[in-house]
Amino acid sequence: MEDVKNNAGQNLGIAALITGIITFVLAVIPCVGLIAIIPGIIAIVLASVGLSQAAKSNSPRGVLIAGLIIAVLASIISLSQVFVAGNFINKADKWPGEIQNIINDVQENVLKDIEDANISIKVESNGDKVEITTGSNKQEMEDKLEDLEGGNTQANDTLQKKE
Amino acid sequence: MILYRRKSKKEEFMKVSLRNEPYLIINIFFAGVIMLIIAYSGIFSPEKDNYPVICIHEKLTGIPCFSCGLSHSFSLIVRGEIKEAYEWNIYGMRVFLFFVSQLILRFAFSLFYIRYADTRKHLIITDSVGSGIIFFIAFWPFICSIAKGIF
Repeated sequence: MEDVKNNAGQNLGIAALITGIITFVLAVIPCVGLIAIIPGIIAIVLASVGLSQAAKSNSPRGVLIAGLIIAVLASIISLSQVFVAGNFINKADKWPGEIQNIINDVQENVLKDIEDANISIKVESNGDKVEITTGSNKQEMEDKLEDLEGGNTQANDTLQKKE
Repeated sequence: MILYRRKSKKEEFMKVSLRNEPYLIINIFFAGVIMLIIAYSGIFSPEKDNYPVICIHEKLTGIPCFSCGLSHSFSLIVRGEIKEAYEWNIYGMRVFLFFVSQLILRFAFSLFYIRYADTRKHLIITDSVGSGIIFFIAFWPFICSIAKGIF
């Protein structure tokens, strides 16, 4: 006489184990980690239903328990991705302010460098050479222009003084 | 009453019923899934950039995550462009090797399982522990990123 094994819930156990392992692999990958919660819940449901069937008919539960443990672990990892993303968003919220500060610093440094710089303009026409050397400071440039024009010729200035 | 009868190896090999062997079903299923992953990497090309998987993490935070570019990396590895694959995702190769190693192991362990019926329990334990270790080695950077994100 051959003993026939009672396999109630075994197929569900296999399905739960397969889904659980796939969920586990997906849950660890940040790109798709959050989606993994869906197969994780499916695997938990499959394993739970399988366990209840196995309990009724007293059939082996090894695969079912393995499937349930892996599915629960995978779902926890998948849920933890929410915290990872949340943590990232919290950090990212501070970034615009930090980036603005960096831009301001760079802007200040560049302006300071320009103010300190000396500008030299050389003009050559019909053998005559004129060289103007001045700082980039606005007041200094206006003074130099006055010198070159020889007196008070503000009416023809292209640089308008601020009121 | 349970009756046991010693069978020859050939007889056992022939009479292995898939229905009663969850281990073999799981192995076949995973081998199929891994082949689908390789096919996915082959079908979708980095030139066309037509990958259907979108990074949820990037959508939520606006910042690329550790696994961004993994599909591109897989596609380039399948096409033999290893250097470019590393440029897309530095961890692409180790994850791809994990899948390839698992594909080989699924076939190898299934064969051993059918051939050597006496050592099935040990075989399953070896497979679980070994695959677990390979998994942790391959996905360690991602696991670390999760741990850093939480703590």
